[in-house]
Amino acid sequence: MSIAVEHFGRTYGSFKAVDDLSFEVAAGEIVGLCGPNGAGKTTTLRSLAGILLPTTGRIRVDGFDLATNPIEAKRRLAFMPDEPHLFEYLTVEEHLRLVARLYGVQDFDQRAAMLLEELELKGKERSLPAELSRGMRQKVVIACGLVRQASVLLFDEPLTGLDPLGIRRMRETIVARGRAGAAILVSSHLLHLVEEICTRVIIMDRGRKVADGTVAELASRADLAAAGSSLEQIFLHVTGKQLTTDK
Amino acid sequence: MISASLYITACTTRNRILVRLRRLREPRYLIGAVVGVAYLYFAFSGRRGSARRRRGDDRAPFEVIGGWQTTGASLAGLTIFALAVLSWLLPMRAGLLEFSRAETVFLFPAPVSRRELLVHRLVRSQAGSLITSILMAIVFAPSAGFGRLRFALAMWALFVTVRVYFAAVALTRVQFASSRRSARLAAWLPVALFSAGTVVVVGAAARNLMGAPVTLADFWPRLSGALTSGLPGLVLWPFTAVLRPQFATDLASFVPAMAASLGVLAFVTAWMLANDSAFEIAAGEAAEQRAGEARARMPKVRVRQVGPPLALSGRVEWAVLWKNAMQTFRAVNLPLGRLIGPAIGLLTGLTGAAVGMSAGQNRGPAGFVAALGFAVTVMSLFIGPLVMRLDLRSDFEHLEVLKTWPIRPAELIRGEMAWPAAFVSVIAWAGILSTALFSGAAMPDIPFVDRWAYAVSALVAAPALIAAQYTVQNALALFFPAWIALGNQRTRGIDAMGQRLIMLAAILVALALFAVPGAIAGGIVWLVLHNLLGAVVFILAAVLFAGVVLTEVMVATELLGPVWERMDLTSVEKPE
Repeated sequence: MSIAVEHFGRTYGSFKAVDDLSFEVAAGEIVGLCGPNGAGKTTTLRSLAGILLPTTGRIRVDGFDLATNPIEAKRRLAFMPDEPHLFEYLTVEEHLRLVARLYGVQDFDQRAAMLLEELELKGKERSLPAELSRGMRQKVVIACGLVRQASVLLFDEPLTGLDPLGIRRMRETIVARGRAGAAILVSSHLLHLVEEICTRVIIMDRGRKVADGTVAELASRADLAAAGSSLEQIFLHVTGKQLTTDK
Repeated sequence: MISASLYITACTTRNRILVRLRRLREPRYLIGAVVGVAYLYFAFSGRRGSARRRRGDDRAPFEVIGGWQTTGASLAGLTIFALAVLSWLLPMRAGLLEFSRAETVFLFPAPVSRRELLVHRLVRSQAGSLITSILMAIVFAPSAGFGRLRFALAMWALFVTVRVYFAAVALTRVQFASSRRSARLAAWLPVALFSAGTVVVVGAAARNLMGAPVTLADFWPRLSGALTSGLPGLVLWPFTAVLRPQFATDLASFVPAMAASLGVLAFVTAWMLANDSAFEIAAGEAAEQRAGEARARMPKVRVRQVGPPLALSGRVEWAVLWKNAMQTFRAVNLPLGRLIGPAIGLLTGLTGAAVGMSAGQNRGPAGFVAALGFAVTVMSLFIGPLVMRLDLRSDFEHLEVLKTWPIRPAELIRGEMAWPAAFVSVIAWAGILSTALFSGAAMPDIPFVDRWAYAVSALVAAPALIAAQYTVQNALALFFPAWIALGNQRTRGIDAMGQRLIMLAAILVALALFAVPGAIAGGIVWLVLHNLLGAVVFILAAVLFAGVVLTEVMVATELLGPVWERMDLTSVEKPE
């Protein structure tokens, strides 16, 4: 498995943000991570990326344990956070070049040119982050993640700040990477996006996994049969957040 | 609106105090608070003790110096006047017009007048002014008891007046471009008054000082005498009035002085409120200035290429050094290539000047330049690593990115330290070279070989000492990440002040421990060989010292690796 999470837990002081979470993502799979605010999605993704340390449990990336072999594990993954964190004084091209050097990318020029074209960043190579819109900065973060041949891609709200065309292109990019064999975990509140591009869905609520499977599998589950067949209906049902109009 | 402002201020102050009290449950803040309170207590009791020792409890120390009480306020008033004039020439920040993002979102669309918004900011700024005044009174008040209370009140009035004045200047400046002729004329009126005032003050000072020879002893009394009477006295009166309460020695002199100070405050406030029509533009500029400070520092034009692009392979340390170097060069917007010419020119000029001074026996200026070079060296050696924080301490802001990089922590730490250490070392080298070049003319008794032996040994030892300091600073940042202020912000509160004091002590102790093995090794070389080699032995000792210290740096950074691995995003706390 490209991503293997076993009994992962993370606490902040006395607050349990994630509790006993286990799941796997295989190569070529695009898994949607959904949940209401505070469900523990971002904590999970940040822990998978090595930014936060797990309080309990084990995380493996392509078989490499993130705790005992972090360098090899991190070499294989790319994390695209919802907030674009960029170095204020490096240009777009210099960001890509820095990442390429740190990750040992071989065919940088070709890959960078392709990515800049794909993410509509062509002509912005020499721009500093402050000269870019939020959406553009988000694209730079995504370009930094994709410039290397990562086998595991983690997206946290990848569509935040993008324009309609950008959203469409981003969907295509994620699907293309999945088809190319990457294991992808996408955290998003946009359930229609998750339903459209993801091969499987994990729903979290209050730090725990409450559903895991394809939308069809979840819809056919006996306890969810009454919820409906769309991801939105299933989500609202399993998280106990029924709309008043649904009642 | 005032009730809403008071409500916001009261709630914010109460909640801030609660947050700070709540965080005392964590040992790091509790320890910091204990140290901070202890520091304030000893500062308070120390001053009280010294005040008691003075003749008469309630006397200001200015009184002890004959005539200073009279001259002090007028000369300080002259300084305030100069700053006030400068604020028209150089646009300064008007903190009173800097609305927070929440204030902009909630209050700008609210049905309140511009004047009410200005009053709101004035009310909001009171808590900060009061706390600062009280702390200043505890630490700096020249007398104890009621004298301290008087000093606090006087400082509060001064702070508020200065804040309101800068806001009034900012609002008036906006009126220069007003479409209404009357508004433009009204805006130029204070400029005309300040210009006339400057002519009067400068003219009076020049006439008085040029009339007869001035000695060092009578310079200040004569300058003060020229400025306290007649037309100059009238011009400087408001600026002196805001400072007289600080110099008051008893209640009888304090009350009228404070009344005058409050009168000035009332006048400046009325002036600010009269210009409220320019509020939107000025507040917008201030908000833009504050929110986009980082953006404002960015080069507006196309980004220059600084040096060659980063190679796609090589050591991690170089990549991180390159990243930090880019930040420095882009922040100051200076192209590397254009620095080489002036640097060579400066070096040639300095050498020529040193040779010329040696030939002409011009010891005075040479001594001054040598002393300046020495001061630069000492400052860069000991203050440089505290000030130039372009290492892990500043990169904690990017922790979320750094933690995902697949690199050895020791390489990252060394890379982070490398650029600022190199930068500070170059400044130290410049200071050492200036000292060596000019000390020849200033101190001709020191033989040429000895002088350059000391200089070369300093050139060798300085980078090692600087690298050691950066190692200590970064080690402390890794061990106590929550005590490191992110970016340009500083965590506030007595506990944070205590934390900073503890950190300073820890840095000094750690640095001493770092330097001891190298110093011992260098000392042994000196003991064994100084009779044989003379001053040249210092070079050998410095090489050994640098070798030992740099080895310690390498070992320490390797040992810090696991600490970096154990640290996560929650270890770093964003300041309030």
